Amino acid sequence: MADKKIIKDVTNVIEGLGLNPNPETISILEDVGTNSKVDAIREMTARALVKKNIPDSLKVVIDNKGKGINDMSTVVAMSTINELLSLQDKSEAMKILENTVENNSDEEVRDNARSVKALMALS
Amino acid sequence: MANLSIPSIRERLFNTSKHEKTTQRNSNNTNPFAASSFKGNVLTADVFESSNKNNNQINFTGKLKASALVGSISGIGERFRNMIESAKAFGNRIKDNVVNGWNKLNNIEISFAPAKEKAVSMFNTVKETLGTSVTDLISSGISVKSVAKMDDMTAARQLATDKIALWEASV
Repeated sequence: MADKKIIKDVTNVIEGLGLNPNPETISILEDVGTNSKVDAIREMTARALVKKNIPDSLKVVIDNKGKGINDMSTVVAMSTINELLSLQDKSEAMKILENTVENNSDEEVRDNARSVKALMALS
Repeated sequence: MANLSIPSIRERLFNTSKHEKTTQRNSNNTNPFAASSFKGNVLTADVFESSNKNNNQINFTGKLKASALVGSISGIGERFRNMIESAKAFGNRIKDNVVNGWNKLNNIEISFAPAKEKAVSMFNTVKETLGTSVTDLISSGISVKSVAKMDDMTAARQLATDKIALWEASV
């Protein structure tokens, strides 16, 4: 189990990067956070990227195999979906989901996007 | 050591014939309590608490000692409260001094521009520090606000990499 201070620092860094308007923070979160071996870090990162609610950040968690809604961990995937459903303005997320359903080469990613899109349409 | 079980105490108190013996009283008896205590009878067994206890051990059954212990605990709380109060008073004094300094600075006209600039920046720094919560000052960790305002993305990337690596290493 990681030290409480380390967990707090990582949480603050990820949340801070999520709030930082600089577009480069998306690549930082994608490179460092979504590729982490710790589920909790991937979960926090995916949620921070969803909260940004801009096309580039949403693409990372929707259109990528093994990240966000397509994460191998059910907890991470469900948490990302939950964050997407909590968005006030879902229009950008819906566009990315539609695009993923139509254009992504991976069938599993397409199926996931279709399911989440249906959920978002219902919510 | 006396047997202090409830049945034995009851037995000793109420079955007096077994544990007491009648003593012969004569007119030149000098004990002033003899007439009133147990009607002239002498207890042959110690039905009360033994006095041969080790005095070094804390006996929590004694009301006096228990109250002393509670008193000492309350005293600790009071001392902590006093410490906190004095720390608060100290903080307020510093804050008042800064506010007074700030007011003086605004009232006094400083003709030398760089000196004025320096003084203003110094007071702004102190004010900013006072605005930070005590927990933040003590822990001196990374705050969400500081990362959210970061402009240097190289430093931000390095910070995220380092902190995440620390967590991953501890798993």
